[in-house]
Amino acid sequence: MDLLEQCSRWLNSQRHTHLTREISYRRGVQAVTLRATVGRTEFELGDGLGTVIETQVRDYLIRVEDLVLSGQQTLPERGDRIEEAQDQLTFIYEVLPLGDEPAWRYSDLYRQTFRIHTRQVDLEE
Amino acid sequence: MAVIVDIADAVVNDLNATDFGRPLTAVRSYLPVFDLKAMKTLHVTVVPKALSNTALDRNRDTFEYQIDVAVQQKIEPTLAALDDLLTLVEQISDHLRTQRLLSYPGARCTEVKNDPVYATEHLAEWRQFTSLLTLTYRVVR
Repeated sequence: MDLLEQCSRWLNSQRHTHLTREISYRRGVQAVTLRATVGRTEFELGDGLGTVIETQVRDYLIRVEDLVLSGQQTLPERGDRIEEAQDQLTFIYEVLPLGDEPAWRYSDLYRQTFRIHTRQVDLEE
Repeated sequence: MAVIVDIADAVVNDLNATDFGRPLTAVRSYLPVFDLKAMKTLHVTVVPKALSNTALDRNRDTFEYQIDVAVQQKIEPTLAALDDLLTLVEQISDHLRTQRLLSYPGARCTEVKNDPVYATEHLAEWRQFTSLLTLTYRVVR
């Protein structure tokens, strides 16, 4: 492990310790509770062919080692759901590609963290 | 009211009065803006699109009114679910193509375009089915 990788791992551990919130990551009936950093939040207006579709885009940073479903470490998949509770509400986001980018990518050179693109698809009270 | 609006309203009324084997509520809109969260339910949106006219004789013109009908729903994009929605689009198309509008019988549907049959980018980016019908109605007046 080179010096830069050591630094990257240290920074990642600091991010995880100080900049994360609890979320639920769900694929069908499988779910895991883990901690994630909200990477960015934007508002999107998309061309809906005669209609306009508006949605909130949100990125989550998740440690690769934390994404474990039914005992198996896994990669994010389009259609997975992320549930984020805030106050009395649960915001539900779906893993979806964003423009020319796939639904997720590694956010660092050393494949320690996923950057997962999502769009809000539901809100539960 | 403008004729194109009357025709669009007639399309809405016709769709809402027809049994397509599932709950369907068509709505006319000038600027349809939808939140992705709301797209879990079927949306059928009718929008006036364009009109053109050519002289028929000294007193009358032939008008062609184009009306868009967008069929949209955010779904689990399985083959069966997509097939089902495409069937609905075909049912709507067949119904409007072959039937005079109940509340505007003077308009005759002369052309139906279904382009895109479904929008691949919407399926890829939003997991949403979108199909667009463009209907042309001819009116002499």
